[in-house]
Amino acid sequence: MAGKSGRSINNVPESSLKRAFLSWEGILLVLFVVINIFCACYSEYYNLNSLLRQMPVYLAEVFLMLPMAYILVLGEIDISVGSIVCLSATMSCIVCNTGAPFIVVIITALVVGTLCGAVNGFILTKFTELPPMIVTLATQIIFRGIAEIILGSGGSISASNTDGFRMLAGKVGSVPYILFLVLILAVIFAVILGKSTFGRRVYAIGTNRLTAYYSGIHVQKIRMIIYTIMGTVSGLCALFIVSSSYGANTTTGNGFEMDAIAMAVFGGISSTGGKGNLAGGVISAFIIVCLRVGLGQKNVHAQVILLILGVLLICAVALPNVVKQIQRTMKTRK
Amino acid sequence: MNKKVLSAILCGTMIVGAACPVFAGTADGKKIALVGKSAGNAFFEIAAASFKEAAEAEGATVDVVYPETATADAQIKVLDNLISQQPDAICIAANDVNALQAKLEEAMAEGIKVSSFDSAPNKDSRQVFVNQAGTVAVGQALMDAVLDIAGGEGQWAILSATSQAANQNAWIDAMKTIMEGDEKYSGLELVEVAYGDDEPQKSTDQTAALLEKYPDLKVICAPTTVGIAAAAKYLQDNGSACKLTGLGLPSEMIEYTGADDEHSCPYFYLWDMQGLGKLSAYATIALVNDEITGALDETFTASDLGEYTITEADDGGTEIVLGLPLQFNSDNIEEMAKLY
Repeated sequence: MAGKSGRSINNVPESSLKRAFLSWEGILLVLFVVINIFCACYSEYYNLNSLLRQMPVYLAEVFLMLPMAYILVLGEIDISVGSIVCLSATMSCIVCNTGAPFIVVIITALVVGTLCGAVNGFILTKFTELPPMIVTLATQIIFRGIAEIILGSGGSISASNTDGFRMLAGKVGSVPYILFLVLILAVIFAVILGKSTFGRRVYAIGTNRLTAYYSGIHVQKIRMIIYTIMGTVSGLCALFIVSSSYGANTTTGNGFEMDAIAMAVFGGISSTGGKGNLAGGVISAFIIVCLRVGLGQKNVHAQVILLILGVLLICAVALPNVVKQIQRTMKTRK
Repeated sequence: MNKKVLSAILCGTMIVGAACPVFAGTADGKKIALVGKSAGNAFFEIAAASFKEAAEAEGATVDVVYPETATADAQIKVLDNLISQQPDAICIAANDVNALQAKLEEAMAEGIKVSSFDSAPNKDSRQVFVNQAGTVAVGQALMDAVLDIAGGEGQWAILSATSQAANQNAWIDAMKTIMEGDEKYSGLELVEVAYGDDEPQKSTDQTAALLEKYPDLKVICAPTTVGIAAAAKYLQDNGSACKLTGLGLPSEMIEYTGADDEHSCPYFYLWDMQGLGKLSAYATIALVNDEITGALDETFTASDLGEYTITEADDGGTEIVLGLPLQFNSDNIEEMAKLY
């Protein structure tokens, strides 16, 4: 039976301390501390206050990582989420500008997101032989296309009544609401994936879909649920994006899908399915957020930051293989 | 002994320190952040370089920061970083009119002065906007050029980009209004507005068609960089008597510019990006030094550029208008062609 992290198959459990330290999550935790110490040394502006103040724009993308982790564990991918964010943000601004109460705006964003996710899920479960990458590439273009048609020639829309969005961007003391929400959702998503039957079924599908199917798991039902939730969470992300810019435009959410996938993969969630857990994903998300804030504060060229993140990602993906190879050579030497 | 030396040094520093302000700039030790629309825009970098030069000459330090992509969302992240750094002022070329409002308001609430140039955020997001030249000023400059080159009277035509281009149409309308509003233009006859769609070949064809249709045509005015370059080449290659003016890039126009008959374009105009950067720097420093707050009718001296008054902008906020666009002629084109 695969361990929760899915990275090792061990019948005899090692001592828990050693295992915790050697696990990918343990390494990430150490890296998180290292990155924070590095940022604090590198940038004289880097402290808890500035971090909490700058976090919200990045945290909106962390939402997307949570359901994306489920999709990756399934062995699939959804690259339409950035466009769903764009469409949800656009629709919520339009509804907001009709003078509707803010709760209606929230519901609009979530419903639009859910519907988009359901469209993805519907196509993928009705035509199971279609590759998710291609289907969501198509819907990526379609959803953004719809948003662009709605936005018209100007290509952008501003929310005329910003009170609700201002409230959403609020804080308890200096801690923004969005941080609480991210952490709460992260715990819920992690517990369901790691501890519940539903989560175990997701791993089973990701490991071997056919076996899972013959074991009586409703593969298509589970896929449908996950893609739909991906949409709902994209709607939630859209609300927080609008709350930082009070509007939407044709570039809103551009590249978010890749950021979410990068966070998850960096966290040890394999894109081939069946491996990884959300603890890793969440820690890696915060590593990326802290690094971007720290480097950004020193006006490091934006492209250089992307380059550093890219190198980190390659290392993260390659490291388990390198370790395995080293272990193998060690064993043959013995 | 040591104490004496120390006190002597201290006294010395104090005297030098007291004397320094006489020689130093008006913005000593001030930190200004300049936020661009995106990296790699040569046109913007000219303005940024002269902004930096002007502000640093006054003793300020300038950080030029570019967002990851040319979007408002990426600029929000840049502004977040800047607010943490607590500079004295932020000068921004906005990627979106409204999207930056929350962040720029936050910056102003933190005591950071906010100015903008090149492209303005909405009136609540800034203290003052530094504008290159109003639509009317461009129309006026072009109209006077046409009058001058035509020698007071005769037929002239406009070679524009596309018929929907908003800025082109605004300038053309301004030119028409100016022409009808003043008696001195009564000798001029605007025969046609042709559209070259900002394609070199189509612009050339349109120029040829204009010359065929109106053999007495004296001047073509092309307020588009593609159009003016195409027309300049055609007119010069064919040795046409028809002359040219408009808005163009010096590097593309250098072969065709000159006051003699061998060149097709006596002079033309373009934004003064250097002047814009410089004026923005002085306006930002004036904000930092509390000489101005960005309110209507305030005046300030922009060093050697002279005195400027804050006027009302089209969006209801306030702006400082640099003035007329910059003229390029045989005297300055070689030097300017290296820049633009």
